[in-house]
Amino acid sequence: MIKPKPDFMRVPFLRADLSFWSWGLSLILCCFSLTIWGAATNPARQGKKPASQAGTAAKDKQTIVALRGGKLLTVSHGVIENGILVMEDGKITAVGAASRVRIPAEAEVIDVTGMTVYPGLIDSETHLGLTEISAEPSTNDLVEPSGEIMPDMHVADAFHAETALIPVARVNGITNAIVAPTDRDTLPGQDALIQLAGRSAREMLLQPDIAMPLDFTGSQRRVGPSFEQNKFPSTRMGLAAELRQTFLDAQEYARKADGYEKKLAAWNADKKGDEPAAPKRDLKMEALQPYLQGKKAVIIAADEASDLETAVRLAQEFHLKFILNHLTHTQRVLDYVASLHAPVIVGPIYNFPKDDERYDAVYRLPAELHQRGVKIAFASYDAHNVRNLPYAAGYAVAFGLPYEEALKALTLNPAEIWGVNDKLGSLDVGKIANVVVANGDPLDVKTEVKRVFIQGREIPMTNRQTQLRDEYMSKP
Amino acid sequence: MVYRGSIFQSWEQKLLALVVLLPAFVFAAAPQPPEGTGAILIKNATVMTVTHGTLEHGNILIENGKIMAVGTDVAAPSGAMVIDATAQVVTPGLIDAHSHMALGDDINEATSPVVPQMMMEDALDPADKAIYRALAGGVTTALLLHGSADMIGGQAVVIKTKYGMGRDQLLFPNAPRSIKFASGENPKRVFGAKGQAPSTRMGNFEVMRQAFEDARHYLKEWDAYNDKVKRGDKDAMPPKRDLKLEALADVLRGKLLVQVHCYRADEMLTEMAIAKEYGYHIRAFHHALEAYKVADQIAANQIGVATWADWWGFKQEAWDGIPWNAAIDARRGVRVAIKSDSNEQVRRLNQEAAKIVRYGAISEEEALRMITLNPAWMIGVDDRVGSIEAGKDADLVIWNSNPLSIYALVNKVLIDGRVFFDRSLGGLGLTHRTEGQ
Repeated sequence: MIKPKPDFMRVPFLRADLSFWSWGLSLILCCFSLTIWGAATNPARQGKKPASQAGTAAKDKQTIVALRGGKLLTVSHGVIENGILVMEDGKITAVGAASRVRIPAEAEVIDVTGMTVYPGLIDSETHLGLTEISAEPSTNDLVEPSGEIMPDMHVADAFHAETALIPVARVNGITNAIVAPTDRDTLPGQDALIQLAGRSAREMLLQPDIAMPLDFTGSQRRVGPSFEQNKFPSTRMGLAAELRQTFLDAQEYARKADGYEKKLAAWNADKKGDEPAAPKRDLKMEALQPYLQGKKAVIIAADEASDLETAVRLAQEFHLKFILNHLTHTQRVLDYVASLHAPVIVGPIYNFPKDDERYDAVYRLPAELHQRGVKIAFASYDAHNVRNLPYAAGYAVAFGLPYEEALKALTLNPAEIWGVNDKLGSLDVGKIANVVVANGDPLDVKTEVKRVFIQGREIPMTNRQTQLRDEYMSKP
Repeated sequence: MVYRGSIFQSWEQKLLALVVLLPAFVFAAAPQPPEGTGAILIKNATVMTVTHGTLEHGNILIENGKIMAVGTDVAAPSGAMVIDATAQVVTPGLIDAHSHMALGDDINEATSPVVPQMMMEDALDPADKAIYRALAGGVTTALLLHGSADMIGGQAVVIKTKYGMGRDQLLFPNAPRSIKFASGENPKRVFGAKGQAPSTRMGNFEVMRQAFEDARHYLKEWDAYNDKVKRGDKDAMPPKRDLKLEALADVLRGKLLVQVHCYRADEMLTEMAIAKEYGYHIRAFHHALEAYKVADQIAANQIGVATWADWWGFKQEAWDGIPWNAAIDARRGVRVAIKSDSNEQVRRLNQEAAKIVRYGAISEEEALRMITLNPAWMIGVDDRVGSIEAGKDADLVIWNSNPLSIYALVNKVLIDGRVFFDRSLGGLGLTHRTEGQ
């Protein structure tokens, strides 16, 4: 006999009696749907943050920014009056006249009418991150003076990304820099290319060990307070001899390593006899290899013509690829400099001329080099005063350097010198969105930088100095 | 105005007049008046006077080394040398209120923390090329100070940058005497390293106070002696003359302008308190990177601030330096000078002053004042230099454009109405050579 179904299992409109199992299945299905729906509408999963963090969230989500109405100093293809520049996901995605560039609908549009817009400036020698307070030794990692041949000192190992000096520098439009040791040693270590923003050193160190200074200004000599206290090398010939021996030793090291590789390969083939012993690793010698092989450039630093010639001769002996640095007293050999076809980081423009030279002998140097076809770049050679980099270029303009060249020497020229011109140095589609907005001529001291973008992200125009200013301006 | 009526009645009178006046005609027709004594007219320039605004198409008449007149209709007397300054800008000669140029490596007598008897004019080397380079940058007056190794340093020398001339010609005539005090890291580091006092800031200030106690005692002895002499005491014996104590006594007597090297806000307050205690005035705080923190007190005491535009961070006491310091101080009523303390920066004080326009949105006139009239006041020579006004020394710079710019170039520099630098000349651009050149 079939038992009648209980009343609750009767579903009137279906004119059917649902079995127990079908009810259960429906219930399970219902619960499942609810869970899915709940998850789908959960704010956290949608990427929305709670109201208190809404501001930061909005900025994080802001990946498309358009700067409209400014005068674009592209550096690579002239000046565009009334232009538009679009940045998306850290790159420049559009650059052009306002009439020709379409701004994506979802872009945040910033009106920069009346402003100049230009590529982030590149400083070709700083000590950013290697010093905090110059007179306080514990804050300095400028150079390892215990020896003068120190190619395995990696500036990247000392770079203090959190330095207070970087926020001070970048608000004036310097977005990238070479970090270098000071020139107490002939081979003080290896430079790093940095970006002046990022979550940590890992992000900011774009290229550790990008190049190696070879300092030959004479101040590398180990001269004591008196003759008896001199150490080798205490003369220029000592410096040169030591460098020669070092490079020879490095070549010998490479030969030994090569020899070992061959022996090892042979032994691996037939396993006859004892395994060849690996030569001891010498980090100094290893550090020199890419430079001896011409894969990376040394940066020859010299002020005087004679020192320059000595150092260049040495570099040529070992077929080193080189960039030139300083050259502030080489006025009598500028044609020779041009004949080397090497780029020059010229300066500091503030160096004194020689005693018998006219007051503007160094001020005119960048123009004189450029006239001879030399590619030049500027550097602050500093840490605290990196912000003043553009004014060195402006000063050179006052003494004959064409304006476009001066701006190029702060942007595309250094980008080319450091091998990063595919990514940096001009307002071009595809390049990293390091962009500066200012209320006038970037090279003049009276101009104020209004906005700085690094990798398309706007940098806060604050640092400990603006904080002190605000604190004391408002005090009664 | 020339009277053209006939004053000669007869041919004899005419002949007499000719004979008498002929030599005058000959001299008037000579190509140049004797240097420094004749008239010069700088014509048709933009004249930034500092005290009376900027004059377009202005003329400046110079005679006997002084500015005689400034205006749009100032005319050249006959025989005057005319400098056409069309499309150029004229400013007063720039003034550096803090320099150590031409003192070689004799800037600090760092063997004792109290050496007020050191006279910097005894170390002055007028041939130092630093003076030439400063001149080429438009600086015409500089206060050459003792260094900051000592709590109480030596007495300064004021010079005009008349490069090529001898020592006596360089000295600014009858300039008030200035003395250098220092505080903070430098004295305590120098003497601490030798195991001597002072090696701390409290040591610093005690050394200062003791020096003034000694000076007070010295003053009393001399006052007592002078009283005896006044009363006719023929046996009165003068106390031994001690140059150090004499100089300190001169500070207490107010005979010296006190220039105080000081970075930190708290130390500026202490210096002001000591000054009050011993009854002297501080003329200016130098460096004063934290002045913005105590600007009201500085203004209330009518003390000036001689500082940089944006140097900072080279010492702990410079860590709180901010580029808005000058503008904040100026707004609170402090007289601010932008100074170099550097043979390098003295060459381009105009650029440093221009930075203040950006860092504080002050006017160009205010910025120019910071390298002209304000430093002149600090040195005590603002009655004679620092602005373009009739009666002042003809220390003038003719620029190719507005000097408050990175692009400005000095075309000519005149000091006491003579051209000392001219960019268009070959060689060094100097018009007066040193002996042997």
